[in-house]
Amino acid sequence: MTNMGQTDEIRTQRDDAPIRDEDVDRAFKYEVANQVGGEGLLRCLKCGACSGGCPVGAVTDYRPRKVLGNVLLGLKDLVLSSEDIWMCAACFTCEERCVQEVNFTDIVTILRNMAVKEGHAAEGYLEMAKTVVEHGRVVPMTFAVNKMRDKLDLPPLQEPAMDEIAKIIQASGFDKILALYKGRDRT
Amino acid sequence: MKMAIAWGCLVPSRRSLLGYEAATRKVLEHLDVEIVDVPNETCCAPFWMQSLDIATSRAMAARNLAKAEEMGLDMLTPCSGCFHSYKRVNHTIEKYPGVHDQINNILRTAGLRYEGTVEAFHLVDFLYNQIGLDVIQSKIVKDFEGIDLGLRYGCHMLKPHEILNIEYSERPTFADEILEGLGATSKQYTGRHRCCGGLLRGTEDDLADEVLRDRLIDAKEADVDALVTVCSLCHIQHDMGQRIIKNKFGIEDLDIPVLHYPQLLALAFGFSPKEIGLQQHTASTASFAAKLKAGAPVEGGGK
Ligand code: SF4
Ligand code: SF4
Repeated sequence: MTNMGQTDEIRTQRDDAPIRDEDVDRAFKYEVANQVGGEGLLRCLKCGACSGGCPVGAVTDYRPRKVLGNVLLGLKDLVLSSEDIWMCAACFTCEERCVQEVNFTDIVTILRNMAVKEGHAAEGYLEMAKTVVEHGRVVPMTFAVNKMRDKLDLPPLQEPAMDEIAKIIQASGFDKILALYKGRDRT
Repeated sequence: MKMAIAWGCLVPSRRSLLGYEAATRKVLEHLDVEIVDVPNETCCAPFWMQSLDIATSRAMAARNLAKAEEMGLDMLTPCSGCFHSYKRVNHTIEKYPGVHDQINNILRTAGLRYEGTVEAFHLVDFLYNQIGLDVIQSKIVKDFEGIDLGLRYGCHMLKPHEILNIEYSERPTFADEILEGLGATSKQYTGRHRCCGGLLRGTEDDLADEVLRDRLIDAKEADVDALVTVCSLCHIQHDMGQRIIKNKFGIEDLDIPVLHYPQLLALAFGFSPKEIGLQQHTASTASFAAKLKAGAPVEGGGK
């Protein structure tokens, strides 16, 4: 994944050429809209209020409206492989302000879940998930932590329910998702 | 009053966040709230996990809720990320019965079940709505007069209000009211309600820095004695991140103390800065502690 977070870099779409029929997947928007939380997608007016309040948009050329536009157009491959869908900070400002109740942040979750199944998961989040699967928590419990806790009169940290976590990720199929990425190096 | 409490992953294990737990425990005890830690608490699987697989995330969050339900208690948490996860599960269960079944089908394999009866509270909302400002004020022994605070509501305690149902997020006031009730001035300033980029940390670090830089400049220009956060990610960004921003962007005299919300209450109740871990923050809190010490205690007060 390349770093496109800088303001001085001008990004263009992967193809500057006009969008062609063969790039368009007409079913894509329905695929998104039919999922839990995606129902608002087809109500989008492309008014841009979401982009206007976006804190990431304030420092880069990332725009939620542009992502929505591409989804509505049916540019499935472009959207799911783009860094854009991983640039949302999940602040929910767009969701809060949208008069059409499109719930863009929920749509980002749907798009990310689809992208993950195609091998495009953000490495940083994957690493956190691996830690949780292994240790039950995003910060593993250490001796040093318990020593600091003791100094503040805090009880020792409890052992997380690892057996339950293992069963949950198996039943939800998350172990299979992680297996997709096995052996892949952190870039 | 008795509550189950979920501390989350970060609060009980990060050096600069331990004071959040210490202050929360002290404040709740002082206010006669009994808390029971969720047994063998596991990660609530917040937004970053939702991003990978929301079905897994929901089941993981429901695991801790199921434990609170077994104890017959409602759930309290000081972490906005955890709060958001628990509220989202409850909201989704109510709106989509099919998702409720899906969650329980997963939980069943781990010998668990979640009916959906546990109410989740964010600590700050709990203090305001369940305890009340009058009760809090009756315990004050230290006045904060002359102290200017920059309150950060953060994102995940309030947005989206349809799910979290505390107060509409554009101009919230409840958490300011408590700080003002302690005698402090809770300053209004540009950018106080904007996102700090916390969720981009660890995956889009450059972007997390850019967003944070703007928030820290906002706070610097507001000239506050301290920032106050209600979210573990907000604290990590503003406190630990301050050094990164200072060096990366060459911003001089960026030294804003960043306190956890209940630390202010604990100080007002007469607990010492040391008991609530103020010395463990990354950005020094010494200037704030000194200013507070110089102020006069409330007449007739004393712990
Ligand atoms: S998501 Fe909402 S705010 Fe954004 S362009 Fe669509 S209608 Fe406008
Ligand atoms: S939720 Fe994401 S897209 Fe929406 S305003 Fe926040 S950062 Fe921007």
